[in-house]
Amino acid sequence: MTPAKPPERPWAARATLRLAALMALAVTLLSLAAMALQYRLVESRLMAAQQTLLTADLNGLAALYDQRRIIALRQAIDYRATAATGDEMLLLMDRNGAILAGTRKDWPKTLAPAGEGFTSDNATTFTEGQTRWLAVARTLPGGFPLLVARSLQPVDDTLAALRRGILTLLAALLVAGALVGWFAARSVMTRINRINTLADKVAEGQLDARLPGPRTPDEFGLLETHVHAMLDRIENLNRATHRLSDTIAHELRTPLNRMLQKLSKIEGQDDLTADLKSEMRQAIRMFDSLLDISRAEADAGTGGGLVPVDLSATALEVWDLYDPLAEDKGLLTEAKITPNLTILGDRNLIAQVLSNLLDNAIKYCAPGDRLTLQITPEDDRILMRVTDTGPGLPDALKPEAFDRFTRAERDRATPGHGLGLALVRAIAARHGARLTLPATEKGFALEIRWPRLQQSD
Amino acid sequence: MSDMDRILIIEDDPETAAAIRAEAEALGCQTDHRDTLSAGIEAATTNPYNVIVLDRMLPGGDGVDAMARIRAGGSTAMILILSALGRAANRVEGLEKGADDYLPKPFEPEELRARLRALLRRGTIQVLDNDLLAFGDVEIRLKARTVHVKRTHVPTSPKEFELLTYFARNAGQIVTRMQLLENVWNLHFDPGTNVVDVHVGRLRRKLEEAGTQAIQTARGEGYIFAPLPA
Repeated sequence: MTPAKPPERPWAARATLRLAALMALAVTLLSLAAMALQYRLVESRLMAAQQTLLTADLNGLAALYDQRRIIALRQAIDYRATAATGDEMLLLMDRNGAILAGTRKDWPKTLAPAGEGFTSDNATTFTEGQTRWLAVARTLPGGFPLLVARSLQPVDDTLAALRRGILTLLAALLVAGALVGWFAARSVMTRINRINTLADKVAEGQLDARLPGPRTPDEFGLLETHVHAMLDRIENLNRATHRLSDTIAHELRTPLNRMLQKLSKIEGQDDLTADLKSEMRQAIRMFDSLLDISRAEADAGTGGGLVPVDLSATALEVWDLYDPLAEDKGLLTEAKITPNLTILGDRNLIAQVLSNLLDNAIKYCAPGDRLTLQITPEDDRILMRVTDTGPGLPDALKPEAFDRFTRAERDRATPGHGLGLALVRAIAARHGARLTLPATEKGFALEIRWPRLQQSD
Repeated sequence: MSDMDRILIIEDDPETAAAIRAEAEALGCQTDHRDTLSAGIEAATTNPYNVIVLDRMLPGGDGVDAMARIRAGGSTAMILILSALGRAANRVEGLEKGADDYLPKPFEPEELRARLRALLRRGTIQVLDNDLLAFGDVEIRLKARTVHVKRTHVPTSPKEFELLTYFARNAGQIVTRMQLLENVWNLHFDPGTNVVDVHVGRLRRKLEEAGTQAIQTARGEGYIFAPLPA
């Protein structure tokens, strides 16, 4: 048997990793919220500072205006304009729109003067070029437009730096979270995978599989201890079942044996004793089948006791054994067997499978029906297909066709005990073979795909 | 079969032992009975027996495991395992571990008698290694794998030839269907239907058409190959 591959676990199944990713994301989002709050705070503080500066400017200008009106204002603005730092914008015009003094030659297009007086109450922001300004535009009594503005460039620069800092920090948090999550998930997954691998082995029939190495004193160690305790129990039960079936075999066969011996001493009623003997033989067959089924089911997947068997040769032998019987019954028979196909198996069990299938087919088919056996390679499997054009399985029976003691109502008159297909299934499972009942137009078809043994010589 | 044939019965069930004894004595053999494994091994290794009928689940252990000790003790007896462990796997295991025959319980007395006869014969008559087996009108050439009846060639299939050879090796004795299935087809389970009958029937018809009634039915027991002397 080819060593069984552990089933692929899809990425989506990695719950631990998903949990770690979720944690990293949550931490990052919380940090983002905190930093956004701080950003808002810094922004409003910086704006307030600019507002204060603007108010101070306006208060200064208001004091001058109080002394000598437009003249003083014009002188002060002229003076300030010559020593311009670029951080402020001042402009005073007369009622005709001619510039009296200022740091610039025209009134900004996007801004309209609003209100009178020197309050900084409803300061507006406007953008010119790359720079944002915090501006107060007024019309002084007599129709003199006045513009006082402070550049918001320092504020924007600081905020931009802050944003860059926040983004870098977030990226770092995400990477760190992902890394920590990955490592945590990896270590958890390694340990869970250990147990999953063990469970797979047990499911394949290796009831004696256990985890090697010491157990850690944590919840994983505890889980492993529990799993081991469970497996020990299952193994013991399994062993007890085996012992029980051997004991039953012995204890029931001995009285049956005495009955048979005594039966042979009866004289003069040959037909009756022959009938009784035949009944006993059927009972023993049924009994053997039950034992064979439970033993094959218990051994399923272990691969123990299996040796290389020429499936083609075995099948041909059994076919040759039954073919004359089928011909005598008037069936049209055909065997298509590719030679030299080898599997790891038990020759007698394989022969029993085919014997059961052919026997069933011959039993239920009528003269003129077709019976075929096909053995062909199929990738890493060998397909064994038995088909006939007989009555087939009633649809209602299909779901439980392989259960023990399943018999169709119409077959009550035909001898049998309903264990044939159950035994076929158990033996197929014992060999790791796949069993299917493909749909047919008429009759019965059964396919077994045996794992092929690759000859390495 | 000489009058001196001795059969050792190692069996813990007294009724079964008595039944075996009856069959053995009917064949003209002298019998000894032991009901534990250790006593059985001791008897088997101190006295010469032709056949040992060995049970499996005995007080003291499994008869199958005792075969090596019996052989090591110098016994050349044919060993027939007669056991309640009668599934195909048990039978194959017993035969692979060195048993000469394996009969599951419950058994029919005729079946046991046929097996004992075959074993006694195998134990006394040395291997038939001559190429020609001749029984009256019937001549079988082993190397050429041909069958002639009254000098006329009778074509046989490979399986029919093996079947006839097995009959010939047990000429004059009843051969059961179970024996045929085991020895000619190497199958160790009861297929339910008497599939063997069809094959024997075909072989018998071929021989009859060639002019000999070599194979006869032994009612309720099996077949007997007994060609009339020429």
